Amino acid sequence: MQENKIKDAIITIVFLTTLFSVFIINIIVKDKTISDSERRKLVSFPKITKSNIMDGELSEKFEKYFSDQFVGRDFFRSLKTVWSLNIFNQKDNNELFVKDNSLYKMEYKLKEKNVEKSAEKIQEIYNKYLTNMNVYYAIIPEKNYYLKKDDHLKMDYEKIKEIMNKNLRDINYIDIWSSLNLQDYYRTDLHWKQENLYDVVNCLKKDMGLKNTDFSQYNIQDKGNFYGVYYGQLGVNIEPDKLYILTNNELESCVTYNFETNQKGKIYQNPKTADKYDIYLSGAVPLVTVENPNSKSRKELLLFRDSFGSSLAPLLLDSYRKITLIDIRYMSSKNLDQYIDFKEQDVLFLYSSLVLNQNILK
Amino acid sequence: MIFSSITFLFFFLPVVLSIYYIVPRKFKNLVLLVASLFFYFYGEPIYVFLMIFSIISTYIFGLLIDKYKKYSKVFLAISICISVGILVYFKYTNFIIQNINLWLKNKIDFIYVILPIGISFYTFQMISYNIDVYRGQAKVQKNILKLAMYISLFPQLIAGPIVRYTTIEGQLENRTHTLEKFSNGVRRFIIGLGKKVLIANVLGELASKFLVSNDVSILFFWLYGISAMLQIYFDFSGYSDMAIGLGKMFGFEFLENFNYPYIAKTVTDFWRRWHISLSSWFRDYIYIPLGGNRVSKIKWIRNILLVWMLTGLWHGASWNFVIWGLYFGIILLIEKIFLDKFLEKFPDILKRIYVLVIVMISFIIFNGEGVEQILRNIGGLIGFRRIPLVSNESLYYFKSYFVILLVGIIGSTPLIKNIVTSKKLNKIAGYLEPLVLLIILVVSTSYIIDGSFNPFLYFRF
Repeated sequence: MQENKIKDAIITIVFLTTLFSVFIINIIVKDKTISDSERRKLVSFPKITKSNIMDGELSEKFEKYFSDQFVGRDFFRSLKTVWSLNIFNQKDNNELFVKDNSLYKMEYKLKEKNVEKSAEKIQEIYNKYLTNMNVYYAIIPEKNYYLKKDDHLKMDYEKIKEIMNKNLRDINYIDIWSSLNLQDYYRTDLHWKQENLYDVVNCLKKDMGLKNTDFSQYNIQDKGNFYGVYYGQLGVNIEPDKLYILTNNELESCVTYNFETNQKGKIYQNPKTADKYDIYLSGAVPLVTVENPNSKSRKELLLFRDSFGSSLAPLLLDSYRKITLIDIRYMSSKNLDQYIDFKEQDVLFLYSSLVLNQNILK
Repeated sequence: MIFSSITFLFFFLPVVLSIYYIVPRKFKNLVLLVASLFFYFYGEPIYVFLMIFSIISTYIFGLLIDKYKKYSKVFLAISICISVGILVYFKYTNFIIQNINLWLKNKIDFIYVILPIGISFYTFQMISYNIDVYRGQAKVQKNILKLAMYISLFPQLIAGPIVRYTTIEGQLENRTHTLEKFSNGVRRFIIGLGKKVLIANVLGELASKFLVSNDVSILFFWLYGISAMLQIYFDFSGYSDMAIGLGKMFGFEFLENFNYPYIAKTVTDFWRRWHISLSSWFRDYIYIPLGGNRVSKIKWIRNILLVWMLTGLWHGASWNFVIWGLYFGIILLIEKIFLDKFLEKFPDILKRIYVLVIVMISFIIFNGEGVEQILRNIGGLIGFRRIPLVSNESLYYFKSYFVILLVGIIGSTPLIKNIVTSKKLNKIAGYLEPLVLLIILVVSTSYIIDGSFNPFLYFRF
């Protein structure tokens, strides 16, 4: 009897202490504006108006606000990951999983229509601006393509290739898949490592009729620990990657021009965002040019690309005087001739399977 | 506001609990009433006025029924018409229009209306109160604040259990607050939270994955059937646990709403264990007044089918709910007419499998969108149209959700309860209980923070 009373008291005290301490801590602690681990802005205290009270919108905003600003949010997200992967023994958490100390995303549903539309968009650009030019395209598979002996669900990568090849008959396809392997990707991020792109660069160059790049010309600079996008999304505690850049005097003398901000800059600049991968050509930018004043070549390249292109482009600069990087996820392709003088440039469409599967090319 | 939200758990609940326990006894009901109205207002700002109107109407008709005995039947009929009328307007108008339009050349326009959360639950409470007053089974409540508190009491307001006025009549006036009751409330609440967040929501993901997948294999159809069945049980019984637990924290004792329905040996038994407050409501206020089983066989069959059709309709304005209700009505009739005697000869395990299969199919009907999807999902269980036994996708999800399915299956039986209350393990379980509850609370919080908005399934009813 006495024992039961003690137990009742413990349960009550623990429950109330948890409730009240969380309540008080969350009121005292100041709100954050950005979550570094999730790489996004956190919801701030909602504006209270008569209309959003009455249409119920305010309560939804409050739910998001309290969840975003919850003290120890990162800890709780990690706990959820650990619980679902280790206690419930689930094979993934929100379609992300850990394998051999690396993080992967399990985007496995091939949306054939989306891939077709992506191909149509590329063909449309070709027809409008690029006929009679040397045009190439390559596809970058998600890193789980290289994951062998694993039963996580994978996209039908061969099918993507098949759809793209079928729809882009006028454009030269460069197959870079055999030039990559699992170690060429970051463990905690979706991207490839610049320092491992030797085979990819030379595979592209071979098919584009360019001279091989000699990687010994570059110095490797250590830019410290890199916590990739999957690290933030999964919230699991594993060792960070190391981020390196390949550089030399020639690359350091190159000048970039960002059409959005009208600002000149350098190839490698410390990122203003939480994503360290943005060190390469300032990350997500709709239109940017890189000029190599010391180039012996007179050739130019138009690189239609996603974020993978940012780290690859510098390694092509020994063959081009100027590279224009165009990201048609962030700008429409309809008026490209307002910004670009299409003449005799080489053209490369370089897209990851993730982007092609989403129909986000404008 | 939903129980499994940060707002409720770490803001609303501590504030309401502290005010409730600080104020003198005579203000406790008022605190609960204000808190309940705020609780409802937070999610349904406009419809709180509809609920207040319904409460006032129920209160006035309760007084009239009690005072003018001669016309009490008329007042009861009017009060039921008002309550049912409001329910029909908000819940069934478009369904009725849709079906009338099938026969009309000039179609009637649909009306723009959103279903007020919890209306099916509180309407039934209001009707039962007025009927109980009419029958003399409940004393009329002269204090409108107390009646308002009974109807709007936040623990049970939006998804039951359908608490009868007679159950808490005395508790409205006088209830005890003890450490034992409070801690039992905490236990029930946390267990309910875990059932909802850690089991129902996770299994809901599996069911959703099936629904958006193009993959077809017998294994996937079974995974869907089982996960949907476990999800609805843990979602709804989890809510009932939380409601009962919260009730205890504020000194109330509500009746149980679930009693391990998935161990039932007949479908009749299943309905004695599933959503008890709803089935007993239909029994006491529809089935028995129609004559129950003390009428001719034809009328008895009519009574059963009518009650079950209404039970189905109560769940939603759609034909699949009607079919779902009639499906149970027909099975219950078959059981009562001959199957019961036949089933008795079978071992318990077979009886239970029979019930589980019947119930699983019922929830496929319940969740179905259109006859085609329902037939496809039922046919898939037996490999209709020669589909493969397994596929990569179904095998992956089977492995990924195996533990949680196992937890769900074990958790829907009294096995864990029997183990922790057994003489041998009682003591150890007692020591571990506070820690286990704390873990459930913390882990559930982590799931809520990581997850998206996950309202309870029964909110839409």
